[in-house]
Amino acid sequence: MAQQTAPSEAETPTQSESSRLAGVLTWMSQNGIFIFTAILILFALIFVDGFGSLMNITDVFHRAAPIGIVAVGMTFVVISGNYLDLSVVAQVATSGVILIAVSNNYGLFPAILAALAAAMLFALVNGTAVGIFKANAVIVTLATTFIGLGLLRLFSGGSIFFGPPDGPVRTFGLGKIGPIPYSAIVLIIMTIVLGLILNRTNFGFLVRSFGVNESATRLGGTNTALVIIGAFLVTAVAAMIAGFVLAAFSNTAVSNDGVGYEFRALAAIIVGGTSVFGGRGSVYRTFLGVIFVSVLTNILVLSGISFGYQQVALGVLIVLAVSLDALARKVAQR
Amino acid sequence: MTTTSSADIAIAATGISKRFGGALAVDDVSLQIAPGEIHSIVGENGAGKSTLMRVMAGIIESDSGSVEVFGAPVDPGTRAAIDAGIALVHQELSLVPEMTVAENILLGAFPTRFGFTRYKDLKEIAANALAEIGVSVDLDERVSRLSVALRQFVEIARAVARQPKVLILDEPTATLTPAETDYLLRMLSRLADGGMAIAYISHRIPEVFEISSNVTILRDGRQVLTSPIADLTPQEVIDNMVGRELKEDLQTHRDATPGEVVLRATDIEAPRVNSVSLEVRAGEIVGLGGLVGAGRSELVRAIIGADSRTAGRVTLTRDGRSVTLASYTSAVRNGVGYVPEERRTDGLALIMTVSDNIRLPNRQQLSRFGIKSPRRIADFAQELADKVGLRPPEIEREAGQYSGGNQQKVVLAKWLGRRPDFMVLDEPTRGVDVGAKAEIHRLVKEMADNGTAVLVVSSDLPELLELSDVIHVMRDGRITGSLTREDATEQSVMTLAAGEAEAVA
Repeated sequence: MAQQTAPSEAETPTQSESSRLAGVLTWMSQNGIFIFTAILILFALIFVDGFGSLMNITDVFHRAAPIGIVAVGMTFVVISGNYLDLSVVAQVATSGVILIAVSNNYGLFPAILAALAAAMLFALVNGTAVGIFKANAVIVTLATTFIGLGLLRLFSGGSIFFGPPDGPVRTFGLGKIGPIPYSAIVLIIMTIVLGLILNRTNFGFLVRSFGVNESATRLGGTNTALVIIGAFLVTAVAAMIAGFVLAAFSNTAVSNDGVGYEFRALAAIIVGGTSVFGGRGSVYRTFLGVIFVSVLTNILVLSGISFGYQQVALGVLIVLAVSLDALARKVAQR
Repeated sequence: MTTTSSADIAIAATGISKRFGGALAVDDVSLQIAPGEIHSIVGENGAGKSTLMRVMAGIIESDSGSVEVFGAPVDPGTRAAIDAGIALVHQELSLVPEMTVAENILLGAFPTRFGFTRYKDLKEIAANALAEIGVSVDLDERVSRLSVALRQFVEIARAVARQPKVLILDEPTATLTPAETDYLLRMLSRLADGGMAIAYISHRIPEVFEISSNVTILRDGRQVLTSPIADLTPQEVIDNMVGRELKEDLQTHRDATPGEVVLRATDIEAPRVNSVSLEVRAGEIVGLGGLVGAGRSELVRAIIGADSRTAGRVTLTRDGRSVTLASYTSAVRNGVGYVPEERRTDGLALIMTVSDNIRLPNRQQLSRFGIKSPRRIADFAQELADKVGLRPPEIEREAGQYSGGNQQKVVLAKWLGRRPDFMVLDEPTRGVDVGAKAEIHRLVKEMADNGTAVLVVSSDLPELLELSDVIHVMRDGRITGSLTREDATEQSVMTLAAGEAEAVA
């Protein structure tokens, strides 16, 4: 006979039909990153030669920073349920070229304004097509990647731009506090600021709410098109800053910069535990996802494993993370 | 349990228990249904009816207990249940809108030869299934173009096409009008006469008395009683479901003293709405009656701008100040509240907390410079949760973890917080248990007493009559008549709703 356990309250709400398995899977897909990152770093410190050296740590930060800045920004688009913004590739390149080219001729401040204008234009086109016309975000941003890169090549002629060796851009690019380069500090500040926006403001709340249930959010009296445009704007401004950081590091810019960033940023977001189905996720987790992916890549590099294997590893990682996310969701719904 | 002459029993579920998380959803329930018997399973939302049925249909595995069909044990899993002859008609429709009626009826069981679908056989089997339940629909029509009622019938045809020994229906009449319901009940009686064992879940007590021979009452997952229906009165059934006496005074009408006109909609045109005008006064509850598909939901959505209208003008007047409502966002900003028909998809974000759901339309007053105030949100949400009688009143719990009635209270709470001048409720108690229904009615009346102009769409006639001061009845996108409280009866509303001698199917 079954045990007689009386419900504690007179009217216990029906538990969403999630078993313990769903709880474990959801917890894993959302919080596993904390454990995995810690284990990975510990592993690297003990077993990987040279991982703990100051120079290597600086290098990890340098590589992580621009991708991480893109990723924390793109987290907004992913949480809003619109999956991703592929056009960050074009946005990073555009921003870098504008920074170097415009500041060479007109100074730093006009360069920042010009890059900001470009970012807003990307956000407006992406956000309008997706938010107002309800077009598929993947296709729209794939198209705006083409448009953006095409225009950039036309204007830049495909040439490489070099900054002056002693300009403010160069100074920033090489600056660091201890082993931590300025670029990583920018990433940390971006993470904190975007985290506060997502968790504490009405805008951030609406981004999450839209990701959970578009219809209920609209019927709650929300101009949802503005929410979507806003999410793309956060992504675009982050990509712009990432473009600056990237260009400043090498003091050069070319229209090929940022290739592969959309994928790496997405990897960081997903591995961090933000759901591609929208609604669930956080900027802080994306930050950890960036650390995880960067450390993993660094370990592979230090171990002398070729780039091909690194790519395979990243791809496998994403498939695993996305499957876990989907599985957790499926079990929770059962 | 003794297993005597098990071959006479079409389906026997014995000692079924199922636990979700900390709560026992079904607690040692046993049920037997003979061939040709219609056995009703009643209980409030969250009583465990659907869970029990889903265990019987193999969709979820029970923690303990067994299911037998004609004495043969049924393995867990839907496949085994289907093979054993158990068919379930879901509460939520599970048809593929873009496929045809015939394809939907045989979904998952297409007749094939060498892997290719044999469309001729498919249509023949589908036609037979429809004939068996006595419904005529074009086999090649896409399901997306059918009315809600016809979709429900296609769903039943789909179950019947598998020639089940046991048919389980989970609230099949929730979305049907009285005429359609009658039709469905007659259909089920015919199927039972043919020897099918039928398990019938419903909230609607009169239906249960009309068709079933036996009834099982569940409360909090436990089997309160199983009895021949003839031995019970409707009041006894309700008392056993609720476990407490329903106060009679909740059923009575309030004394309304309507004030000035708050909402004036003029010549509204929209898809399925033909030039409708109406007014709602402060403190007044206006009811919209009619059959499903008469254009009531479309009308209210066009009035508040949730869907766009092709023509017409809507003004909202409060304290002598009039505004024209142009968009839904402006409507909400100017004091309109809306409880939509589809609670789970439009009303709530189910995986967000109760607190977040309440925050959504109230976010501006719960923030400063766009930055949230966590303490104000918590206090505000808690106050509203207590006010609407959410049980348990835990605002940090996900909305989806609550039963339908409690979810609907959360939807109401969202809007109560805004103290709306004009409130629209579309089927406010659909799929809600008796207790929650009475509480929701009390809240709606209270809202009107506090001066809100209320517009209610309801297919539940007793509800419409109880709440409304005036009832407008719609048919084919027009208001075909208006009834004051004194003139309104179930018969007068239905006459206007159905037009002259309009039958179903």
